[in-house]
Amino acid sequence: MPAGHGVRSRTRDLFARPFRKKGYIALTTYLRTFKVGDYVDVKVNGAIHKGMPHKFYHGRTGRVWNVTKRAIGVEINKQVGNRIIRKRIHVRVEHVQPSRCTEEFRQRKLKNDQLKAEAKAKGEVISTKRQPKGPKPGFMVEGATLETVTPIPYDVVNDLKGGY
Amino acid sequence: MAFVKAQKTKAYFKRFQVKFKRRREGKTDYRARIRLINQDKNKYNTPKYRFVVRFTNKDITAQIISASIAGDLVLAAAYSHELPRYGLEVGLTNYAAAYCTGLLLARRVLKTLEMDEEYEGNVEATGEDYSVEPADTRRPFRALLDVGLIKTTTGNRVFGALKGALDGGLDIPHSEKRFAGFGKGDGKHLDAEVHRKYIFGGHVAGYMRTLMEDEPEKYQSHFSEYIKKGVEADGIEEMYKKVHAAIRADPTAKKSEKQPPKEHKRFNLKKLSYEERKAKLIERLNAFNSVADDDDEDDE
Repeated sequence: MPAGHGVRSRTRDLFARPFRKKGYIALTTYLRTFKVGDYVDVKVNGAIHKGMPHKFYHGRTGRVWNVTKRAIGVEINKQVGNRIIRKRIHVRVEHVQPSRCTEEFRQRKLKNDQLKAEAKAKGEVISTKRQPKGPKPGFMVEGATLETVTPIPYDVVNDLKGGY
Repeated sequence: MAFVKAQKTKAYFKRFQVKFKRRREGKTDYRARIRLINQDKNKYNTPKYRFVVRFTNKDITAQIISASIAGDLVLAAAYSHELPRYGLEVGLTNYAAAYCTGLLLARRVLKTLEMDEEYEGNVEATGEDYSVEPADTRRPFRALLDVGLIKTTTGNRVFGALKGALDGGLDIPHSEKRFAGFGKGDGKHLDAEVHRKYIFGGHVAGYMRTLMEDEPEKYQSHFSEYIKKGVEADGIEEMYKKVHAAIRADPTAKKSEKQPPKEHKRFNLKKLSYEERKAKLIERLNAFNSVADDDDEDDE
Protein backbone atom coordinates (compact mmCIF):
# COMPACT_ATOMS: atom_id res chain seq x y z
CA MET A 1 0.00 0.00 0.00
CA PRO A 2 1.38 3.42 -0.83
CA ALA A 3 2.16 5.94 1.87
CA GLY A 4 -0.69 8.36 2.43
CA HIS A 5 -0.20 12.12 2.43
CA GLY A 6 -3.22 13.14 4.50
CA VAL A 7 -3.32 16.23 6.60
CA ARG A 8 -2.12 14.45 9.72
CA SER A 9 0.33 12.12 8.02
CA ARG A 10 3.61 11.47 9.80
CA THR A 11 2.39 13.05 13.02
CA ARG A 12 2.36 9.94 15.18
CA ASP A 13 5.02 11.27 17.51
CA LEU A 14 4.66 14.95 16.79
CA PHE A 15 1.09 15.19 18.03
CA ALA A 16 1.46 12.64 20.79
CA ARG A 17 0.99 13.90 24.33
CA PRO A 18 4.16 13.81 26.45
CA PHE A 19 4.83 11.07 28.94
CA ARG A 20 2.47 11.17 31.94
CA LYS A 21 0.73 14.28 30.65
CA LYS A 22 -2.23 12.63 29.03
CA GLY A 23 -5.83 13.33 29.83
CA TYR A 24 -7.42 16.62 30.85
CA ILE A 25 -5.49 19.71 29.99
CA ALA A 26 -4.84 22.32 32.62
CA LEU A 27 -7.30 25.18 32.87
CA THR A 28 -4.66 27.89 32.41
CA THR A 29 -4.78 27.42 28.66
CA TYR A 30 -8.42 28.46 28.68
CA LEU A 31 -7.98 31.39 31.04
CA ARG A 32 -5.30 33.17 29.03
CA THR A 33 -6.29 36.16 26.95
CA PHE A 34 -4.70 37.13 23.66
CA LYS A 35 -4.73 40.53 22.02
CA VAL A 36 -4.13 41.41 18.39
CA GLY A 37 -0.42 41.97 17.87
CA ASP A 38 0.76 39.53 20.55
CA TYR A 39 3.38 36.98 19.63
CA VAL A 40 2.34 33.37 20.11
CA ASP A 41 3.93 29.95 19.66
CA VAL A 42 1.91 27.29 17.92
CA LYS A 43 2.22 23.97 19.72
CA VAL A 44 -0.33 21.34 18.85
CA ASN A 45 -2.17 19.61 21.69
CA GLY A 46 -3.05 16.16 20.37
CA ALA A 47 -5.86 15.72 22.89
CA ILE A 48 -7.99 18.43 21.27
CA HIS A 49 -8.98 17.45 17.78
CA LYS A 50 -10.77 20.61 16.76
CA GLY A 51 -9.00 23.67 15.44
CA MET A 52 -5.69 21.89 14.95
CA PRO A 53 -3.20 23.59 12.67
CA HIS A 54 -1.34 21.67 9.99
CA LYS A 55 1.81 19.94 11.20
CA PHE A 56 3.98 22.49 9.37
CA TYR A 57 2.99 25.17 11.86
CA HIS A 58 3.92 23.15 14.91
CA GLY A 59 6.72 25.02 16.61
CA ARG A 60 6.31 28.22 14.61
CA THR A 61 5.85 31.63 16.13
CA GLY A 62 3.60 34.29 14.72
CA ARG A 63 1.53 37.34 15.53
CA VAL A 64 -2.13 37.41 16.41
CA TRP A 65 -4.28 39.13 13.81
CA ASN A 66 -7.75 37.99 14.82
CA VAL A 67 -9.54 36.88 17.97
CA THR A 68 -12.76 34.86 17.78
CA LYS A 69 -14.89 33.03 20.29
CA ARG A 70 -12.68 29.99 20.82
CA ALA A 71 -9.81 30.47 18.42
CA ILE A 72 -7.12 32.90 17.43
CA GLY A 73 -5.93 33.97 14.02
CA VAL A 74 -2.14 33.75 13.78
CA GLU A 75 0.01 35.12 10.98
CA ILE A 76 3.02 32.88 10.34
CA ASN A 77 5.78 33.05 7.76
CA LYS A 78 6.11 30.11 5.39
CA GLN A 79 8.69 29.67 2.69
CA VAL A 80 7.04 28.59 -0.54
CA GLY A 81 9.55 28.08 -3.34
CA ASN A 82 11.64 31.19 -3.66
CA ARG A 83 9.63 33.53 -1.44
CA ILE A 84 8.22 33.76 2.08
CA ILE A 85 4.49 34.13 2.35
CA ARG A 86 2.71 35.49 5.43
CA LYS A 87 0.12 32.81 6.03
CA ARG A 88 -2.95 33.46 8.15
CA ILE A 89 -4.35 30.48 10.01
CA HIS A 90 -6.98 30.09 12.69
CA VAL A 91 -6.04 27.94 15.62
CA ARG A 92 -7.94 26.98 18.76
CA VAL A 93 -6.47 28.38 21.94
CA GLU A 94 -5.44 24.93 23.19
CA HIS A 95 -2.81 24.77 20.48
CA VAL A 96 -1.30 28.17 21.22
CA GLN A 97 1.03 29.45 23.91
CA PRO A 98 2.10 33.03 24.57
CA SER A 99 5.59 33.49 23.20
CA ARG A 100 8.50 34.67 25.25
CA CYS A 101 10.46 35.90 22.25
CA THR A 102 9.75 39.53 23.03
CA GLU A 103 10.02 39.17 26.78
CA GLU A 104 13.69 40.14 26.94
CA PHE A 105 13.07 43.10 24.67
CA ARG A 106 10.17 44.37 26.73
CA GLN A 107 12.11 44.09 29.96
CA ARG A 108 15.06 45.90 28.43
CA LYS A 109 12.69 48.65 27.26
CA LEU A 110 11.38 49.11 30.80
CA LYS A 111 14.86 49.16 32.29
CA ASN A 112 16.11 51.61 29.69
CA ASP A 113 13.19 53.91 30.29
CA GLN A 114 13.99 53.85 33.96
CA LEU A 115 17.71 54.53 33.39
CA LYS A 116 16.94 57.35 31.01
CA ALA A 117 14.53 58.93 33.45
CA GLU A 118 17.13 58.76 36.21
CA ALA A 119 19.82 60.22 33.96
CA LYS A 120 17.50 63.02 32.89
CA ALA A 121 16.82 63.83 36.52
CA LYS A 122 20.54 63.97 37.22
CA GLY A 123 21.28 65.80 33.99
CA GLU A 124 23.77 63.34 32.51
CA VAL A 125 23.80 61.84 29.08
CA ILE A 126 23.87 58.05 28.88
CA SER A 127 23.74 55.59 26.04
CA THR A 128 21.52 52.60 26.58
CA LYS A 129 22.72 50.79 23.48
CA ARG A 130 23.75 47.21 23.93
CA GLN A 131 27.44 46.67 23.27
CA PRO A 132 28.79 43.38 21.93
CA LYS A 133 31.16 41.48 24.15
CA GLY A 134 34.70 42.71 23.47
CA PRO A 135 37.94 40.74 23.50
CA LYS A 136 39.12 39.59 26.91
CA PRO A 137 41.43 42.06 28.70
CA GLY A 138 45.12 41.29 29.01
CA PHE A 139 46.45 39.85 32.26
CA MET A 140 49.68 38.83 33.88
CA VAL A 141 50.11 35.14 34.51
CA GLU A 142 50.48 34.51 38.24
CA GLY A 143 52.14 31.68 40.08
CA ALA A 144 53.69 30.04 37.08
CA THR A 145 56.80 27.92 37.52
CA LEU A 146 59.11 27.21 34.66
CA GLU A 147 59.76 23.62 33.78
CA THR A 148 62.21 23.09 30.99
CA VAL A 149 61.58 19.95 29.05
CA THR A 150 64.42 18.54 26.97
CA PRO A 151 64.48 15.38 24.96
CA ILE A 152 66.53 12.53 26.40
CA PRO A 153 68.98 10.74 24.08
CA TYR A 154 67.66 7.50 22.65
CA ASP A 155 68.63 4.51 24.80
CA VAL A 156 68.30 1.20 22.93
CA VAL A 157 68.73 -1.05 25.97
CA ASN A 158 65.88 0.51 27.97
CA ASP A 159 63.45 0.52 25.12
CA LEU A 160 63.94 -3.09 24.13
CA LYS A 161 63.76 -4.37 27.73
CA GLY A 162 60.07 -4.84 27.58
CA GLY A 163 59.31 -6.70 24.43
CA TYR A 164 62.43 -8.17 22.81
CA MET B 1 3.02 -17.02 53.55
CA ALA B 2 2.90 -18.27 49.99
CA PHE B 3 4.81 -16.39 47.35
CA VAL B 4 2.55 -13.73 45.87
CA LYS B 5 3.63 -11.82 42.79
CA ALA B 6 3.92 -8.17 43.65
CA GLN B 7 1.14 -6.32 41.84
CA LYS B 8 2.50 -2.81 42.06
CA THR B 9 6.06 -3.10 40.89
CA LYS B 10 8.55 -0.29 40.63
CA ALA B 11 7.71 -0.11 36.94
CA TYR B 12 4.06 0.48 37.79
CA PHE B 13 4.90 3.46 39.92
CA LYS B 14 7.31 4.85 37.35
CA ARG B 15 4.61 4.92 34.72
CA PHE B 16 1.74 5.97 36.93
CA GLN B 17 0.23 9.31 35.98
CA VAL B 18 -1.49 11.02 38.88
CA LYS B 19 -4.78 12.78 38.24
CA PHE B 20 -5.10 16.45 39.10
CA LYS B 21 -4.97 17.04 42.83
CA ARG B 22 -8.57 18.10 43.21
CA ARG B 23 -9.65 15.12 41.17
CA ARG B 24 -7.70 12.84 43.49
CA GLU B 25 -9.46 14.50 46.41
CA GLY B 26 -12.72 13.95 44.59
CA LYS B 27 -13.72 17.60 44.86
CA THR B 28 -13.64 19.00 41.33
CA ASP B 29 -15.24 17.76 38.14
CA TYR B 30 -12.80 19.11 35.56
CA ARG B 31 -14.99 18.28 32.60
CA ALA B 32 -17.69 20.56 33.96
CA ARG B 33 -15.20 23.12 35.17
CA ILE B 34 -13.61 23.60 31.77
CA ARG B 35 -16.99 24.22 30.22
CA LEU B 36 -18.09 26.62 32.96
CA ILE B 37 -14.96 28.71 32.97
CA ASN B 38 -14.16 28.97 29.30
CA GLN B 39 -14.78 32.56 28.24
CA ASP B 40 -15.02 33.70 24.64
CA LYS B 41 -11.64 34.99 23.60
CA ASN B 42 -13.16 38.04 21.97
CA LYS B 43 -14.55 39.00 25.37
CA TYR B 44 -10.99 39.21 26.68
CA ASN B 45 -10.92 39.80 30.43
CA THR B 46 -14.65 39.93 31.10
CA PRO B 47 -15.19 37.66 34.09
CA LYS B 48 -17.54 34.74 33.82
CA TYR B 49 -19.25 34.24 37.15
CA ARG B 50 -20.46 30.91 38.44
CA PHE B 51 -23.03 30.46 41.14
CA VAL B 52 -21.49 27.72 43.26
CA VAL B 53 -23.66 25.76 45.68
CA ARG B 54 -22.18 23.14 47.95
CA PHE B 55 -23.73 21.17 50.79
CA THR B 56 -21.99 19.76 53.80
CA ASN B 57 -23.67 17.75 56.51
CA LYS B 58 -24.56 20.80 58.55
CA ASP B 59 -24.09 23.79 56.29
CA ILE B 60 -24.85 25.22 52.88
CA THR B 61 -22.33 27.33 50.99
CA ALA B 62 -23.42 29.60 48.15
CA GLN B 63 -20.80 31.70 46.39
CA ILE B 64 -20.34 33.80 43.27
CA ILE B 65 -16.89 32.98 41.89
CA SER B 66 -14.85 34.08 38.89
CA ALA B 67 -11.82 32.14 37.72
CA SER B 68 -8.30 33.41 37.28
CA ILE B 69 -4.89 31.85 36.68
CA ALA B 70 -3.67 32.74 40.18
CA GLY B 71 -6.79 31.25 41.76
CA ASP B 72 -10.53 31.69 41.77
CA LEU B 73 -11.87 34.94 43.22
CA VAL B 74 -15.00 34.94 45.32
CA LEU B 75 -17.18 37.97 44.68
CA ALA B 76 -19.71 37.23 47.41
CA ALA B 77 -20.58 34.31 49.66
CA ALA B 78 -23.51 33.29 51.82
CA TYR B 79 -23.64 30.45 54.29
CA SER B 80 -26.62 28.86 55.95
CA HIS B 81 -24.94 29.25 59.33
CA GLU B 82 -25.64 33.00 58.90
CA LEU B 83 -29.37 32.38 58.80
CA PRO B 84 -29.84 32.47 62.60
CA ARG B 85 -29.09 36.17 62.19
CA TYR B 86 -32.29 36.49 60.17
CA GLY B 87 -34.42 34.39 62.47
CA LEU B 88 -33.96 30.84 61.18
CA GLU B 89 -32.54 28.67 63.93
CA VAL B 90 -33.25 25.11 62.87
CA GLY B 91 -33.28 23.04 59.73
CA LEU B 92 -30.27 24.77 58.21
CA THR B 93 -29.71 22.25 55.42
CA ASN B 94 -33.20 21.66 54.05
CA TYR B 95 -34.76 22.86 50.81
CA ALA B 96 -36.20 25.95 52.44
CA ALA B 97 -32.86 26.88 54.01
CA ALA B 98 -31.21 26.45 50.61
CA TYR B 99 -33.76 28.85 49.17
CA CYS B 100 -32.96 31.35 51.92
CA THR B 101 -29.21 31.02 51.34
CA GLY B 102 -29.57 31.55 47.60
CA LEU B 103 -31.79 34.54 48.22
CA LEU B 104 -29.31 35.98 50.72
CA LEU B 105 -26.44 35.60 48.27
CA ALA B 106 -28.37 37.23 45.44
CA ARG B 107 -29.42 40.23 47.52
CA ARG B 108 -25.88 40.55 48.87
CA VAL B 109 -24.28 40.57 45.44
CA LEU B 110 -26.78 43.03 44.05
CA LYS B 111 -26.27 45.28 47.04
CA THR B 112 -22.48 45.35 46.63
CA LEU B 113 -22.90 46.10 42.93
CA GLU B 114 -25.57 48.69 43.75
CA MET B 115 -28.13 47.00 41.57
CA ASP B 116 -30.52 46.00 44.33
CA GLU B 117 -32.97 48.85 43.67
CA GLU B 118 -33.28 47.94 40.01
CA TYR B 119 -33.60 44.21 40.37
CA GLU B 120 -35.98 43.35 43.17
CA GLY B 121 -36.64 39.93 41.80
CA ASN B 122 -39.66 38.00 42.89
CA VAL B 123 -40.64 39.37 46.30
CA GLU B 124 -43.55 36.99 46.78
CA ALA B 125 -42.28 33.43 46.51
CA THR B 126 -44.95 31.64 44.53
CA GLY B 127 -42.93 28.68 43.32
CA GLU B 128 -43.57 29.22 39.64
CA ASP B 129 -40.74 29.79 37.20
CA TYR B 130 -39.48 33.36 37.37
CA SER B 131 -36.75 34.92 35.23
CA VAL B 132 -35.37 38.42 35.71
CA GLU B 133 -36.39 40.96 33.13
CA PRO B 134 -33.65 43.30 31.96
CA ALA B 135 -34.20 46.81 33.31
CA ASP B 136 -33.59 50.00 31.40
CA THR B 137 -30.17 51.03 32.65
CA ARG B 138 -28.09 47.93 33.38
CA ARG B 139 -28.36 44.34 32.31
CA PRO B 140 -28.99 41.84 35.12
CA PHE B 141 -26.12 40.10 36.90
CA ARG B 142 -25.47 36.85 35.10
CA ALA B 143 -24.00 33.74 36.68
CA LEU B 144 -23.93 30.07 35.74
CA LEU B 145 -25.00 27.38 38.17
CA ASP B 146 -22.16 25.13 39.33
CA VAL B 147 -23.53 22.10 41.13
CA GLY B 148 -20.26 20.32 41.72
CA LEU B 149 -20.49 16.58 42.02
CA ILE B 150 -24.10 16.04 43.08
CA LYS B 151 -26.63 14.11 41.09
CA THR B 152 -29.06 16.57 39.51
CA THR B 153 -32.31 14.85 40.30
CA THR B 154 -35.63 16.62 40.43
CA GLY B 155 -36.17 18.28 43.77
CA ASN B 156 -32.52 18.47 44.80
CA ARG B 157 -31.74 21.19 47.32
CA VAL B 158 -29.27 22.74 44.91
CA PHE B 159 -32.20 23.83 42.82
CA GLY B 160 -33.78 25.27 45.94
CA ALA B 161 -30.76 27.53 46.23
CA LEU B 162 -31.04 28.26 42.52
CA LYS B 163 -34.66 29.31 42.97
CA GLY B 164 -33.64 31.56 45.86
CA ALA B 165 -31.04 33.28 43.72
CA LEU B 166 -33.46 33.69 40.82
CA ASP B 167 -36.11 35.21 43.04
CA GLY B 168 -33.37 37.42 44.50
CA GLY B 169 -32.78 38.97 41.09
CA LEU B 170 -29.86 37.14 39.49
CA ASP B 171 -29.91 36.03 35.88
CA ILE B 172 -29.06 32.34 35.84
CA PRO B 173 -29.97 30.29 32.78
CA HIS B 174 -32.10 27.39 33.97
CA SER B 175 -35.05 25.20 33.24
CA GLU B 176 -37.92 24.40 35.59
CA LYS B 177 -37.51 20.66 34.97
CA ARG B 178 -35.54 20.02 38.16
CA PHE B 179 -37.46 22.11 40.67
CA ALA B 180 -39.29 20.23 43.42
CA GLY B 181 -42.80 19.68 42.20
CA PHE B 182 -42.10 19.12 38.55
CA GLY B 183 -44.11 16.33 37.07
CA LYS B 184 -46.10 15.68 40.22
CA GLY B 185 -49.63 14.99 39.25
CA ASP B 186 -50.16 15.25 35.55
CA GLY B 187 -47.68 15.75 32.78
CA LYS B 188 -44.43 17.53 32.25
CA HIS B 189 -44.91 20.85 33.92
CA LEU B 190 -43.96 22.47 37.18
CA ASP B 191 -46.61 22.32 39.86
CA ALA B 192 -46.09 25.74 41.39
CA GLU B 193 -48.16 24.87 44.45
CA VAL B 194 -45.93 21.95 45.36
CA HIS B 195 -42.79 23.98 44.74
CA ARG B 196 -44.10 26.76 46.94
CA LYS B 197 -44.78 24.20 49.66
CA TYR B 198 -41.16 23.09 49.58
CA ILE B 199 -39.85 26.65 49.58
CA PHE B 200 -41.75 27.34 52.78
CA GLY B 201 -40.81 24.08 54.44
CA GLY B 202 -44.22 22.55 53.91
CA HIS B 203 -42.73 19.11 53.46
CA VAL B 204 -40.99 19.35 56.83
CA ALA B 205 -44.19 20.58 58.48
CA GLY B 206 -46.13 17.70 56.97
CA TYR B 207 -43.63 15.17 58.31
CA MET B 208 -43.78 16.80 61.74
CA ARG B 209 -47.57 16.45 61.80
CA THR B 210 -47.44 12.82 60.69
CA LEU B 211 -44.88 11.92 63.32
CA MET B 212 -46.74 13.75 66.07
CA GLU B 213 -49.81 11.65 65.37
CA ASP B 214 -48.24 8.27 64.66
CA GLU B 215 -44.93 8.09 66.51
CA PRO B 216 -44.61 10.74 69.21
CA GLU B 217 -41.32 9.34 70.58
CA LYS B 218 -39.67 9.49 67.17
CA TYR B 219 -41.01 13.01 66.81
CA GLN B 220 -39.38 13.95 70.10
CA SER B 221 -36.02 12.52 69.07
CA HIS B 222 -36.00 13.61 65.43
CA PHE B 223 -37.27 17.18 65.86
CA SER B 224 -35.73 17.76 69.28
CA GLU B 225 -34.07 21.02 68.18
CA TYR B 226 -37.32 22.30 66.71
CA ILE B 227 -39.12 21.56 69.95
CA LYS B 228 -36.36 23.25 71.96
CA LYS B 229 -36.60 26.38 69.86
CA GLY B 230 -40.37 26.24 69.99
CA VAL B 231 -40.97 25.77 66.27
CA GLU B 232 -44.36 24.23 65.50
CA ALA B 233 -45.54 22.63 62.29
CA ASP B 234 -48.13 25.34 61.70
CA GLY B 235 -45.74 28.22 62.31
CA ILE B 236 -43.09 27.12 59.81
CA GLU B 237 -44.46 28.98 56.81
CA GLU B 238 -44.79 32.20 58.79
CA MET B 239 -41.24 31.80 60.03
CA TYR B 240 -39.82 31.48 56.54
CA LYS B 241 -41.83 34.47 55.33
CA LYS B 242 -40.26 36.54 58.10
CA VAL B 243 -36.79 35.25 57.23
CA HIS B 244 -37.23 36.21 53.57
CA ALA B 245 -38.32 39.70 54.56
CA ALA B 246 -35.39 40.07 56.98
CA ILE B 247 -32.97 38.96 54.27
CA ARG B 248 -34.31 41.48 51.80
CA ALA B 249 -34.12 44.19 54.44
CA ASP B 250 -30.43 43.78 55.29
CA PRO B 251 -28.37 41.35 53.24
CA THR B 252 -24.94 42.85 54.04
CA ALA B 253 -22.36 40.45 55.39
CA LYS B 254 -21.21 40.88 58.93
CA LYS B 255 -17.53 40.39 59.72
CA SER B 256 -17.11 37.97 62.58
CA GLU B 257 -14.76 38.98 65.38
CA LYS B 258 -12.13 36.31 65.40
CA GLN B 259 -9.46 36.13 68.06
CA PRO B 260 -5.95 35.62 66.71
CA PRO B 261 -5.19 31.89 66.94
CA LYS B 262 -3.35 31.01 70.09
CA GLU B 263 0.04 29.31 70.02
CA HIS B 264 0.00 25.53 70.01
CA LYS B 265 2.79 23.27 71.21
CA ARG B 266 4.74 21.93 68.24
CA PHE B 267 5.09 18.17 68.01
CA ASN B 268 7.29 18.10 64.92
CA LEU B 269 10.33 20.08 63.87
CA LYS B 270 9.66 23.34 62.11
CA LYS B 271 10.80 23.34 58.44
CA LEU B 272 13.74 25.67 57.88
CA SER B 273 13.72 28.39 55.28
CA TYR B 274 16.21 28.47 52.41
CA GLU B 275 18.41 31.04 54.15
CA GLU B 276 18.39 29.03 57.35
CA ARG B 277 19.37 25.86 55.54
CA LYS B 278 22.23 27.60 53.73
CA ALA B 279 23.47 29.11 57.01
CA LYS B 280 23.39 25.68 58.62
CA LEU B 281 25.39 24.20 55.76
CA ILE B 282 28.05 26.90 56.01
CA GLU B 283 28.28 26.28 59.77
CA ARG B 284 28.74 22.53 59.21
CA LEU B 285 31.40 23.10 56.55
CA ASN B 286 33.30 25.51 58.77
CA ALA B 287 33.19 23.07 61.65
CA PHE B 288 34.38 20.27 59.38
CA ASN B 289 37.18 22.38 57.98
CA SER B 290 38.35 23.47 61.40
CA VAL B 291 38.37 19.85 62.61
CA ALA B 292 40.27 18.80 59.47
CA ASP B 293 42.79 21.59 60.01
CA ASP B 294 43.29 20.46 63.60
CA ASP B 295 43.82 16.89 62.41
CA ASP B 296 46.34 18.03 59.82
CA GLU B 297 48.21 19.98 62.44
CA ASP B 298 48.18 16.95 64.73
CA ASP B 299 49.42 14.68 61.94
CA GLU B 300 52.22 17.05 61.03
